Amino acid sequence: MFRYFIASAFTVSTLLGVSGCSAPERISISGSTTVLPAVSRAAEQFTADTGQLITVNAGGSGSGFNQLAEGQTDIGMMSRDITVGELDQFSNLTFTPIAIGRDAVVPVVSSEVFAQGVTALSLADIASIYRGDIDNWSAFGGPDQAIFVIDKESSSGTRQTFMDIVMGNAKAHASGADLVIGSNNEEQTAMTQSDAAIGMLSIAWLNEDVKGLSIILGSGELVAPTLENIQNGRFPVVRDLNIVIRGDISSQAQNFVDYLLSPDGQNFVEKSGYIKINQ
Amino acid sequence: MNKLARPTFANNATRPRTRRDGIHGIAFFSAIASCAIICLIILTLFVQSAPALTQAGDSLLSTRWNPAEGVYGIIPMVFGSIFVMLIAISIALPLGLLAAIAISRIKHKTLKRVTKSALEILAGIPSIVYGLIGVAYVSLWVAGLFDLQSGRIILTAGLILAVMILPTFLSLAEDAISSVPKAYYENASALGLYPYETQLSVILPAAAPAIMSAALLALGRALGETMAVMLVIGSLDRLPSPLFNPLSSGQTITSKLGREIGESAFGSTHFSALILMSFILVMITIALTIASRRIFKSAKTS
Repeated sequence: MFRYFIASAFTVSTLLGVSGCSAPERISISGSTTVLPAVSRAAEQFTADTGQLITVNAGGSGSGFNQLAEGQTDIGMMSRDITVGELDQFSNLTFTPIAIGRDAVVPVVSSEVFAQGVTALSLADIASIYRGDIDNWSAFGGPDQAIFVIDKESSSGTRQTFMDIVMGNAKAHASGADLVIGSNNEEQTAMTQSDAAIGMLSIAWLNEDVKGLSIILGSGELVAPTLENIQNGRFPVVRDLNIVIRGDISSQAQNFVDYLLSPDGQNFVEKSGYIKINQ
Repeated sequence: MNKLARPTFANNATRPRTRRDGIHGIAFFSAIASCAIICLIILTLFVQSAPALTQAGDSLLSTRWNPAEGVYGIIPMVFGSIFVMLIAISIALPLGLLAAIAISRIKHKTLKRVTKSALEILAGIPSIVYGLIGVAYVSLWVAGLFDLQSGRIILTAGLILAVMILPTFLSLAEDAISSVPKAYYENASALGLYPYETQLSVILPAAAPAIMSAALLALGRALGETMAVMLVIGSLDRLPSPLFNPLSSGQTITSKLGREIGESAFGSTHFSALILMSFILVMITIALTIASRRIFKSAKTS
């Protein structure tokens, strides 16, 4: 009996081994949930066109970089720049960030707050909310209700872009936070479930329940979070959506990178609610 | 090992000796391998947490966690883990005990079997399913009930965990109650005790050590649960204020690890601080398991 078991185990593993070798190599991509919608749409089309299998996973910019650096993936998705610390950790490798689109990080509020008059804030106002100095919407002409401050995980590229411009430090500590969440969709859900929340979202994730605020510039001028204002550079919180590759990238993965930058691939960037990089 | 394995095969005279020894050898090897894996895990955690102890030093005992500033206060996470565990066990313990008594009193054989296997299925549901139900429903109910902005709070995590550890505890507690000798019931009723008196002063005391050990095992499960807790606890690395406020967001060791281990580079102080927390977690779980076994053993010998 036992001998049969061993024999069959060998047969199975041999079969698996053989089929594993003959299958086309899968391209593996992971990282920022901001970049993900554009890449996964493009990946679907690319698979349909060429038969090349692609796996696209979420995980945040930080883990997107780490997985690429540790060789678990072929391409990383990052919605922020690679930090010096990250590069130092893997100084024996070369990384190339490639911008595939542009995005804005928009301060968002619950639709109830928006409806009651809070439609624009200055960067200093937002900073004081996140620092915990102001904790009531009435300070900004809204309802007399405590502000529910939603922060994001520190690895999030969205948070780092937002904090860099709002608080002047990408890794700033937000002592006013009431809730910390991970991805864009988690944030969207939490925003929807609350009626007095403020948060930060990539522009592609705004909807009727989650309203983007206009930003009051130092001159008193209002800038609404529109694709136009991102394109002409007036909206202050913008960033590149990057994919990152290593020097030793496989030819299949390189093909997909080229596809992302081609007019076809760029269409998916636009369809996902972002700005094309190759206008 | 020897004493256990030999007699079963020795009875079977038709088996050739060599094959018997082969199987014996494989079983022995598996046992050694499992022990080695456990030792290796503990050793790895210990070695990997050393950099945090030397580099983060005092900041480990602070209540602030900010890797960018090199501050790694693990207190909020350790407190969160214990707090959530206490909430879960204080709900699951009375509920599970009463249910266990009820099930042990079921006379109908089929009904009893169906009830018990239903519970065992409950124990087998993947934790992510509990987490999704927590995010989609329980957190909304809790938020509505207490008029909160978000239901992703310590209490929700405790509630979900209570449901998750209930079947494990219930099933073990029911075994303990059912294994109290029938003579105890007969003597109690011969003395004219009411059924509730029988349960309270005869059956429960007799089954107490085994129930206690079941509770400790359930505690261990509560401490180690990750997915479901991570989704509903709110991930706020801060002590609640006031300290025992279950309506604020929090963080447990497991949810912290789940959220952050991916972004910490292997070998960094950040990574090491996370490993240190998991080392603490493993130590607590091991202590609980040992305590549970001890209590169970002493119950059997007495």
